[in-house]
Amino acid sequence: MILQTNDSRLLNAVLLVALLLVLMLAVSNGAVDIDLGKAIGDAWHRQASVESLIFFDIRLPRALLAALVGATLGLAGAALQGLLRNPLAEPGIIGVSNGAALGAVLVFYYGYSAYAWFVLPVAGLTGALLAVLCIFILVGQSRSIITLILAGVAINAIGGALIALALNFAESPYAMQEILFWLLGSVANRSFREVQIALPFMLLGWVMMLYCGRFLNALTLGEDTAKSLGFDVARLRLVLVLGVAASVGAAVSVAGNIGFIGLVVPHLVRPFVGYEPRRLMLASALVGAILLLLADLAVQSLSGTTEMKLGVITSLVGAPFFLLLILKSRNTLQ
Amino acid sequence: MCVSLSALADRPQRIVSIGLCTDQLLLMLADRGQIASLSVWAKDSNMSYMIDAVGDIPLNNASIEEIVRLQPDLVLASEFVAWDTVGFLRQLGYPVEQVPVVKSVDEIYQLLGSFGAWTGNPDRAQAMAGQMRRRLAEIDARYADRPAKSVIIYSPNGFTIGADTLEHDLFERAGYRNLAAEMGISGFQAISLEQLVAADPDVLQIDRRLSTQDSLATAALKHPVLDKLIRRREYLDIPTRLRICGGPMIVDAIEMMAARR
Repeated sequence: MILQTNDSRLLNAVLLVALLLVLMLAVSNGAVDIDLGKAIGDAWHRQASVESLIFFDIRLPRALLAALVGATLGLAGAALQGLLRNPLAEPGIIGVSNGAALGAVLVFYYGYSAYAWFVLPVAGLTGALLAVLCIFILVGQSRSIITLILAGVAINAIGGALIALALNFAESPYAMQEILFWLLGSVANRSFREVQIALPFMLLGWVMMLYCGRFLNALTLGEDTAKSLGFDVARLRLVLVLGVAASVGAAVSVAGNIGFIGLVVPHLVRPFVGYEPRRLMLASALVGAILLLLADLAVQSLSGTTEMKLGVITSLVGAPFFLLLILKSRNTLQ
Repeated sequence: MCVSLSALADRPQRIVSIGLCTDQLLLMLADRGQIASLSVWAKDSNMSYMIDAVGDIPLNNASIEEIVRLQPDLVLASEFVAWDTVGFLRQLGYPVEQVPVVKSVDEIYQLLGSFGAWTGNPDRAQAMAGQMRRRLAEIDARYADRPAKSVIIYSPNGFTIGADTLEHDLFERAGYRNLAAEMGISGFQAISLEQLVAADPDVLQIDRRLSTQDSLATAALKHPVLDKLIRRREYLDIPTRLRICGGPMIVDAIEMMAARR
């Protein structure tokens, strides 16, 4: 047991170092080449030079937001897969992200998000929560992969259609074309304002999900066993769901729906944590942050004159992975 | 010059415009009674210079059914706008004039001539062109000795405007170097915030009136880095309605810019 804990610490430490390296890579790459030394030096002397503006006001918030959103999606994927005891559960696939995007779209394009900073993430949270509730109603206690996927398809379709409807009636002439942002996600042109808006809810969600780690461990043995081990299943399930909704809702409300990170990451991490849901979560958050930062680097270096959306990259990598998982679990599907 | 009564009767009497820029020139050059309908853009306070002249003229969404119901004797459309509607109207036998996108002040003079001929008011068009020439010469003379400055324009969705455009001609006539053109951009092209900050213009031209309508495209105009860039440099706020279409209002934009040099 002690050895395992140490292993997990080592893994997380390695991942943390990797994350810092990728963060440094992210802030040193961009549309233009700048002298990073001069950027930091000018900022130190409180001089707003071209270099310091690009580094601190454009690149740093963008990289931080990519890392925070990636961590949220990785962690939420791990939590949902544990909670639903289903390897294909993920915020994007089961419709939680689209629900969050719908909530954000409704307040953003109709002027309500200007009332207070928390309106946008709370709207995202509410949309995400409604989608999770739908999943619970549709799937119930069934562990069938097919039921979950079909429920996800339905919720995603409804969410996507309502997003399109809401954008269609929005006053701004740009609204309709921005459906790409909400369905595919991006961290381009995001500032520290968006980081500030989303961070409190993401942190709250992370704490709630991590708090349920031991419960998820017990849940692998079945709900009755978890109950007999003294876990208040109904309460902890609610805490988990609220945690997913708060963090994913906030992430999607500032970065759109970025698919497949939450699906791929836990599967990559699982072999390294002895298939233990509790240990899976923190490592999944770190790997999620690393992968989304790398995806954003790819987006910036591969794009033509108009930058492509993050979901293009994450889906190109994630969707084949999804197919692979389906092939692997074909026996259970029948 | 006197216009004969028969010429007045030959003028189109039911003109329909289905684009913002044709709305503007139609309102300037045609009689109120000649206009059967304008596009909905004519009432957009950010885009339409002639908004106060619209009054109760019916507006259209450039849909084929609305236009056919109006039985127009002339339809005016901008190039590239509602091309499907234009093709359909021609098939149905309605006279359609497609107005090219103007890329310089000289092309505005030509356009005014065409509009004068189409609407049957050539004298008015000629007078308007003459007044534009006089005002531009006056502006040139008044601000000739001021130093040139560099400028870059940043519009919703990160679009900047390079060479071979009306805006580029506007900048040059007002005594500015368009940095987008110097970056090798021709026409309209999106640039990243990083490229914008790195260009480090003397003057940044953005129309922040546009960011009152909620969208991500205009939210970028409120990015904090632009506030800092403006604090460092200068900020110019030429209303979009003065420069988006070819017409005499472009002179107002040139004067505003030249005065700030």
